[in-house]
Amino acid sequence: MLLPRFDYSQPQNLEAALDLLNAHREDAKILAGGTDLLVRMKKGLIRPKRLISLKSLKELSYIKKEHDCIRMGAGTSLADIISSDLVRKKARALFQACEKVGAVTIQHHRGTIGGNILQDNRCHHYNQSDFHRSGRQACHKDGGKICYARENADRCNSTCQSDGATALMALGAKLVLASKENERTVDLDQFYTADGIKPHAMEAHELLKEIIVPLNNAQSDYQRLAYRSAIDYPIACAGVQLKPSENQKDQIEDARIVVGAMGRAPLFLAQAAAFLKDKSIHDEAAFQKAADACMDSAATFAVHNVGSTLEYRCEMVSPMVFRALKEASQALENAID
Amino acid sequence: MEKMEITLNINDKSREVTVHPNETLLDVLREKLDMIGAKESCGEGVCGSCTVQMDGKPVRSCLTLAVEARGAKIKTVEGLADGEELSDLQQSFIDHGAVQCGFCTPGMLMSADALLNENHNPDEKAIRKALAGNICRCTGYAKIVQAVAHAAEPGDHCSDCKS
Repeated sequence: MLLPRFDYSQPQNLEAALDLLNAHREDAKILAGGTDLLVRMKKGLIRPKRLISLKSLKELSYIKKEHDCIRMGAGTSLADIISSDLVRKKARALFQACEKVGAVTIQHHRGTIGGNILQDNRCHHYNQSDFHRSGRQACHKDGGKICYARENADRCNSTCQSDGATALMALGAKLVLASKENERTVDLDQFYTADGIKPHAMEAHELLKEIIVPLNNAQSDYQRLAYRSAIDYPIACAGVQLKPSENQKDQIEDARIVVGAMGRAPLFLAQAAAFLKDKSIHDEAAFQKAADACMDSAATFAVHNVGSTLEYRCEMVSPMVFRALKEASQALENAID
Repeated sequence: MEKMEITLNINDKSREVTVHPNETLLDVLREKLDMIGAKESCGEGVCGSCTVQMDGKPVRSCLTLAVEARGAKIKTVEGLADGEELSDLQQSFIDHGAVQCGFCTPGMLMSADALLNENHNPDEKAIRKALAGNICRCTGYAKIVQAVAHAAEPGDHCSDCKS
């Protein structure tokens, strides 16, 4: 498959990259690992006039520990994240999520954490070749007015299938977005627009620079369901974080539950998580109840557009959340011992 | 779209080529350098038949721009054999019947070679994990895994092992 024509720049430092991005804005796309962008370009889904490569920007690749957080450069490869003891111990959900992205060796050595968070939403009606799409009316994302995934839908319902985003949202991560003029920090749970066409709340001249994961005494876990683990995107996944009470270590003070691959953005399910407050870490009945509530919430957002049947995907949300809660509570218990 | 003169280090030889930015490493290897070992199958990073090594790591050459491969040590399947003499891994693939139609074989070899360079004695799980991104539509995985295990440590890996 041939790539469409484009101009190519390889800035040597962050400042030069931001200058270029500021000058070209919507005409330019950032190229990091390329495993999402180049595939979309080959299929003719996007035709950027210029690619700005981050290949020379080694300054975007690091994992640093500070007293209350882990800072990761957006250009850090998934392989580096998986091999980091710090991430494995302190942000287990992220480690688990990165480990499950794509093929074990190959995508990991190209793919970056920033690219994983910023991957475009997907839909098996839209993410097809030019030829396939040319045979029928354009959908919302293709510039038309219909949706093949949900009848009579007035908007695009493409699904966010990022593993990293689901795990990082459960961990309460923040993103640092840099532009030529300024730099701003946003909470990841405020970053998704729930718009299938433009899923991320960032401007064309902004660049994702850093990901900040807060450090605390909470434990996290990530579970995912996919057809073939090595090459497929998740069709349902869950990230959770359980924070124990200060005085009573076997009691949950705060819980975060995020369900991914079920909607236009990762679903931050505050109500189901609030139900777990003050429950014991051994209370599996409560976990089950919260997991079932997550399944009900997720089912209202999900559409049939990423493979398998919609019924199966919805049913599987409950076991994904339950397993994640159980694993996280087990980790809490181990921490007490 | 400007043409660019680039130098690629392929199998320890320096090769100068003129490329457009939209040419992938796979396009350049096959069309401009006549190195047709790496194959294009899916063209979108799923199947692994285009796998080559960059700095010892297996990558999808169909999703790597040629201009992005500058400065890296590229190794293709042509770089495995020493002249006419096949590498142990290649010989093991032949001995174990791990080649059927042969289309996935260059990718399998490059992924397996990268694994063996990092881990001299991988167990079956590690081999299967390393090859998980390479698809064989003849479904000859058992023989391929045996061949890699044999190349790592010759021994009793399969019933019809010749050596």
